[in-house]
Amino acid sequence: MNNIPLEKSRLVSEPADPWGVYTEASANREKIWSKNRTFLGDVWFRFRTKPTAILGLILVLLVVLFSLAGPSFVTHTYKEQNLKYANIPPSLRTVEKDGRYFYISPALQVVEVSAKGELLGALSKKSADNANKRTTFDAGDGQLVTVDYSSKPYTLLNDEGNRIESFHGLHNRTYLLGSDALGRDMLARLMYGARISLIVAVIAALTNLVIGVLYGSISAYAGGMVDSVMMRIVDIINTLPLTLYVILLSMVIEGKGMLSITVALGTVYWVNMARVVRGEILSLKERDFVLAARTIGSSTGTILIRHLIPNAMGPILVTLTMLIPSAVFMEAFLSFIGLGLAAPLASLGTMCSDALATLRTAPYQLFEPALVICILMFGFNFVGDGLRDALDPKLKK
Amino acid sequence: MGIPDKAIQEADINRWASGMEEFMEDRETILEIKHLQTSFLTSSGKVKAVRDVSFSLKKGEVLGIVGESGSGKTVTSLSVIRLLAGTGVIEGGEILFDGKDLAKVSMKEMRTIRGDRIAMVFQDPMTSLNPLIPVGKQITEMIEEHNRGMSKAQLKEEALKLLKLVHIPEAEKRFSSYPHEFSGGMRQRVMIAIALACKPDILIADEPTTALDVTIQDQILKLLNQLREEMDMSIIFITHDLGVVAEVCDRVVVMYGGRIMEEGPVEAIFERPSHPYTQGLMASVPDISLDKNVRLVSIPGSPPDMLNPPAGCPFVLRCAYGRNICNAKVPPVTEIGEGHCSYCWLLTPEAPKENNPYK
Amino acid sequence: MGRYIAKRIGMSVVTLFVLICLTFAMMHAIPGGPFTSDRNVTEAVQQALNEKYHLNDPVIVQFGNYIKDLLHGDLGMSYQYQGKSVNDFIVDGFPVSGKLGLVTTIFVLLASIPMGIVAALKNGRWQDMLVMVIATLGVTIPSFVIATMLMYLFSYKLGWLPTFGISSWKSFILPMVAMGGYSLAFLARLMRSSLLEVMGQDYIRTARSKGISEFKTITRHALRNALIPVITVLGPTIANLVTGSFVIESIFAMPGLGVHYVTSINNRDYSTIMGVTIFYATFLIAIVFIVDLFYCLIDPRIRYE
Repeated sequence: MNNIPLEKSRLVSEPADPWGVYTEASANREKIWSKNRTFLGDVWFRFRTKPTAILGLILVLLVVLFSLAGPSFVTHTYKEQNLKYANIPPSLRTVEKDGRYFYISPALQVVEVSAKGELLGALSKKSADNANKRTTFDAGDGQLVTVDYSSKPYTLLNDEGNRIESFHGLHNRTYLLGSDALGRDMLARLMYGARISLIVAVIAALTNLVIGVLYGSISAYAGGMVDSVMMRIVDIINTLPLTLYVILLSMVIEGKGMLSITVALGTVYWVNMARVVRGEILSLKERDFVLAARTIGSSTGTILIRHLIPNAMGPILVTLTMLIPSAVFMEAFLSFIGLGLAAPLASLGTMCSDALATLRTAPYQLFEPALVICILMFGFNFVGDGLRDALDPKLKK
Repeated sequence: MGIPDKAIQEADINRWASGMEEFMEDRETILEIKHLQTSFLTSSGKVKAVRDVSFSLKKGEVLGIVGESGSGKTVTSLSVIRLLAGTGVIEGGEILFDGKDLAKVSMKEMRTIRGDRIAMVFQDPMTSLNPLIPVGKQITEMIEEHNRGMSKAQLKEEALKLLKLVHIPEAEKRFSSYPHEFSGGMRQRVMIAIALACKPDILIADEPTTALDVTIQDQILKLLNQLREEMDMSIIFITHDLGVVAEVCDRVVVMYGGRIMEEGPVEAIFERPSHPYTQGLMASVPDISLDKNVRLVSIPGSPPDMLNPPAGCPFVLRCAYGRNICNAKVPPVTEIGEGHCSYCWLLTPEAPKENNPYK
Repeated sequence: MGRYIAKRIGMSVVTLFVLICLTFAMMHAIPGGPFTSDRNVTEAVQQALNEKYHLNDPVIVQFGNYIKDLLHGDLGMSYQYQGKSVNDFIVDGFPVSGKLGLVTTIFVLLASIPMGIVAALKNGRWQDMLVMVIATLGVTIPSFVIATMLMYLFSYKLGWLPTFGISSWKSFILPMVAMGGYSLAFLARLMRSSLLEVMGQDYIRTARSKGISEFKTITRHALRNALIPVITVLGPTIANLVTGSFVIESIFAMPGLGVHYVTSINNRDYSTIMGVTIFYATFLIAIVFIVDLFYCLIDPRIRYE
């Protein structure tokens, strides 16, 4: 990217010996003018000049780091339940009474919170006055607090029996991102869920990659009848509504573990990959280097693995990066309709699904996993787009 | 710096223009391009595709613009009809046609000229026709645009006449065919029919035969020659093929690196090429009469980087006679014969005699 | 043209057959019979049920019978709901799903194509940026997330639109947006890139060289060409849209076929799953076929192939 106006700098002075032979000429004759880079360097250069691609890469790396390294920084585990702290949101609207802070949940639980935001304990119910919509709780040390739920927001009554109308917003220090309906730490579950979702997606995408590359390269290399039969099969698979087949397949494969969903996702979406690979290899196999390999007696397998597939790597890589987000998406989708993983396994999809029941009172339980899914989708899509542009030399300016 | 380059050229052009008048005295000038500069803005900088190009076109004349890819010949012609893609801009100069400066007229006014007065035939007939529209309709569209109020039947009749004019057999039947049913040569005929639809004053043919077979090429060239005589059009013929130039052109402009290297009547250029680049071009044309063991001559090196073109003659990097001054300053024009001039330092009176092919 | 249609019909029939075989095979590959998981069912009752549904016959006989019934349009009986046939479910649910699907398809087409056109023509300006942001959001946010977010915002928080049911036209708005979000974004992006590519084609330059206005250049020459890639993906896109309704219908509690499908999956009601799958698949294959016919009307190159 040399933007210095050379023309001007050269114009500055009259040459000292105007009629001397211009010697630079022979030296510069064979010089390639635009700056030359290696193929990978060129791809990386074009990739990194695209801000969205870099953003995508950062997002993906952040989620990977979050899911792998995250659990060692949180005190809770993903399956540790604490039913008395169910559905506690990340930010607490607390009522202060006698220097103590109380959080009243929509389900009329009362939890005492320290001034810093740590959960100190749930209060037990003492008596209920249903007519006046009041419930009294035991606050320990013989003290009693009464919750008035006759109007929103729920609050405590002071010693005179009036509603305390001042609230203190505190941040939940015990569960940084809140707890779910079973009192499990959302943060720990998010890390775990993201990890499961990523593993499922990556393995499924790699399975698709292997099947697609094998199918596509065999079809392209064999050619003739084999090719047309194999491509007819691909055409048929392409018209099948694949979502339905993933659903059926994940029912057929026993169990509700990671295996069934990974196999279901991994064996269905290879068609696109097969087409891409076939197209690439069809055009590559006419090239001279393949002919050269054949003349020195390389076997078909060697030519495929050593010469053709590596040269088709660009489009394969792009298709692969695009497969991962769709696998994340499908896994979430299947989990959401009840075909995914069963407890205690959790993925981002099952977390979303679980959160639906408490959407009205605890929307954060849905928003958090949904946000992680979106970040992942964004990240992979941006990386895929960036890679495609970087690998497409037509776009080189 | 001595005298500014522009001033030198201004004077030279006047001198050259008077020479031209003698050469084609009975002919009026229909198009005159003065100091045209066209650039493209790209992410890596400004590509100066055309730098200070001036020439004129007479009525009924066929002017060839010759040069290799990237020499600016296509950009020059696209500038004339203001069809520069995307980031292309005319940065300076005048394009005088019919009393107007086409470089400055509004797009709306330009549209009334495009097609009607100045038409263009493009290089690749395979991609230049809309694949979804029958060819007949693609011809009538042009006529309709510039002759409002014609009936459908009239339009069709006109289009059929044109199809016959360009020797398309069974024109009636072909009228409603789609481009993919035509061969490359036939498609180029259709493109020519479209360009001729409004009997333009100037036809710009941008490498119209490059994408075609040699036999088809010949037919298309003959057709163009015939049509030009029948319709008394001026043609700007852009090509890199000197054989084609010899066959159809009256006058030639040789371009390299966005500048004119040499120009003149076609016989003069062939008889006495007076620029190292033109000579190189001539030498690289295969000659069938030569011994087949003789190697074809090529000009070593590759075209200059138009992002940072040399300050002087763009050919200096590949020129066998390059001098320091060639790299530093744009050469002035030297008149060699009637209407024949060249831009080369070696032709100037100050140039020394040693290792100089012109002295 | 005739040959093309015949070829497409042949393909569709083969696809349909492959699909029925696959579905049947998969449903019979599930370990255990449909009634073994039911704890309330005794051995004797199980035998009786197997007898009733002809589950003791050899698989090939069962398959033959199934195909025979299918040809009569009979998709079999539900294993879970006594006395209900799969056809009943479809008659109940499909009108709702069909309506939702149709409304969504129209919405998607009417919104995405103009969005793509505007983005392409205003390439690099704010209109383009806006469309690209919407398109990126649409492609990256899963439909069930859009659905629940919309529900939370417009129903719970603002109270503008109903959360569930099909009581009025308003009930269709949120499901439509949630269901169509992905397809809308995808098609808008495709339309944009396709039009951008077409605008750089030689025949557009030819059109401009004729001196016709930019408006005519776009409407006559660019749009039809740019629509071709959009039409090629329209079939699968609509299929995607329709299968997306499973989740959307469940979230918004719309009594459509998708809800029945998801319920039967959770109940392991195999005959219903099989029947509804085949019904859906046939429907989707028919849509792809119709779209292909439309495609061949637009592109003369296919017509004469």
